[in-house]
This record gives sequence, structure tokens and C-alpha cells, in this order.
Amino acid sequence: MTHFDLTEDQQDCLQEIINVAMGQASDQLARYLDTFVYLKVPSIEQVSSKHISDALNVEDQAAAVVSQGFFGYEGIRGEALLVYQPKDSDRLADLLGYDPDELTLEEQIIDLSSILTTTFLNVFASQINNQMSYSAPRFLPSSKSAFSEHIEQQSFNWDLALKVKISYQVTDYSFNCDMILLIPESAIINIAQVIDRILEEY
Amino acid sequence: MSLSVLICDDSNLARKQVLRSLPETLAANAQIATNGVEALKILRSNNIDVLFLDLTMPEIDGVGVLQGIQKMGVTPIVFVISADIQPEMQSKVLELGAKAFIRKPVKSEVLLQHLKENGLV
Repeated sequence: MTHFDLTEDQQDCLQEIINVAMGQASDQLARYLDTFVYLKVPSIEQVSSKHISDALNVEDQAAAVVSQGFFGYEGIRGEALLVYQPKDSDRLADLLGYDPDELTLEEQIIDLSSILTTTFLNVFASQINNQMSYSAPRFLPSSKSAFSEHIEQQSFNWDLALKVKISYQVTDYSFNCDMILLIPESAIINIAQVIDRILEEY
Repeated sequence: MSLSVLICDDSNLARKQVLRSLPETLAANAQIATNGVEALKILRSNNIDVLFLDLTMPEIDGVGVLQGIQKMGVTPIVFVISADIQPEMQSKVLELGAKAFIRKPVKSEVLLQHLKENGLV
């Protein structure tokens, strides 16, 4: 097993980059829903392929998962997952203010996920002097097997990945969603190099 | 006149960014807190003139520090430096007594502008 253990300084720098991206994503979400989003400190941890599908099952009754791949220069890539809880999916239609026939719930959730994912990743990318493109967001069944299958279909190696989990709490509606980023080892090694350049400046 | 400065952020990088953006005279007197609990402890036992405060932190967050400051009755000049840029959060911290809201990552010219506006440089 190879390692991409980040040093304390690298992890701190990555966390700060994530904080800035998370702040702007939540600002977009707050404007879109016309509410306030409460932010917590994100968690960053290393996961192995064996446990990667557990990433979803932390709250094992997830109602809906939207997955979107991202690709930047220098081999920076990964998968962004937006995980919604079943109790919240009923509230979404009201929250989004669509007419019942206008869009399906799935389409509404995909819209919401795209706002969070693209805002987050664009801000993240600009801070590491990169630029992202995205695959179309996919609505996944919430079962563990569906997720494993989806991950296995990716062209890159998932032996080890960095898992970043960010919780967005929409306070007015007690509605939550988790953004989970999975970044494969090869991409993390590239990100670490960019981080070292940033750290050298300080 | 030398001002006592406290920089409170859970990120080492963010603290360095603030420190590097400060004029030398202020940076020389800067103390560091890595979370809200530490910040309140330092504020209680030291005479802090200027506080640079992050919001999203473990333990006690920036809003908690502002509330603590009000209870303590100390009166540092507080500049919030945060990634949480929601308009509601900005007005909340200003209501809680912060002099300005500065978005992360901090830029030295922006920080300097706020220091000038408050007669600190």
C-alpha cells in the first residue's frame, strides 16, 4: 500500500482552501434558498478502497445521492457526492418553491447539488491555480452496491482516497445535506505539490 | 503607542496570512489563539486592543467569542476574517460589535484599509 500522508502543514493548508470554497458554496446555497446555512469545520480523512463505499453509509439511511465527477489539469480529479436524508427530501419541494409538476424531485435535487458542487469546486480550483470541468450529475440509488458499482466504473484507481466531508445545515428548515468529496491518491499527490508551493510563500 | 494584537484562527496558514498582512509594528506585538476558548482566556487576562477573529472553528466559534467579549465587558477592536461570507453572517457579527467583516483569504491591502479607517495605523 502506498501513502500520501499529508504533513500537518499540508493538511492545514488544504483545510483552509476547503473552508474558503465551503464558505462560497454555502453563500450560493443561502441565496438560492433565501435562508441561512450553518457551517461546521469539515472533516478530512484518508480512506482505503475497502471502506470507500462506507463513505455513503455513515448515515445509512441516505435518501438520495447525487454524484458528479470533476476533472482539472495536472491529474486533479475526483468524485463529489451530495447526500440527502430521507426526512429532508419531502421538504425539498417546498423549499425550492417549484410547482409540483414543474420538475421531478430528482431534478430539483440535481439542481441543488450542482450549485453546491460547481461553486465549491470552482473556488477550490481557483485557489490551487487550476480549473475544473464536470461530468453530468447522476442520481444514484442509495444502496451500498449501487455506489460501489458507480465507483468501480471510474477509470482511475481508488485504492486510497482522501475523503472530505462537509455538512451544510439549512437552519430555517432544519434541512441538511452532506457533501463528500473523494479524491484518489494520484490526484492528492498532485494537490500536495501545489500546496507545498502555497506553503513556501508563507 | 504600541497596540496589543490577538489573531484567533484554527488554521496555522490563515494566522500566517494575517500576520504577514499586518504592518510590522502591529505584527511584532501579535499573540496567537488557535480556537475560541484560547482567545477568550487571553482576552480575559491581557489587555488586547485589536482582535482578528475567524468564525468557523471547533469548540467555541467566532460568534461565541463575540458573545463572550460582550459578557466580559472588554472592548477590543474586532475584525472578523472569515470564509463564511453569507450576508446574514456579516450583519450578525457587525451587530455583535465587530468593526468590519473581511473575507478570506485575507488581502494585505484590504486589511490595511480597515486598519486605517479605524485609526490604527
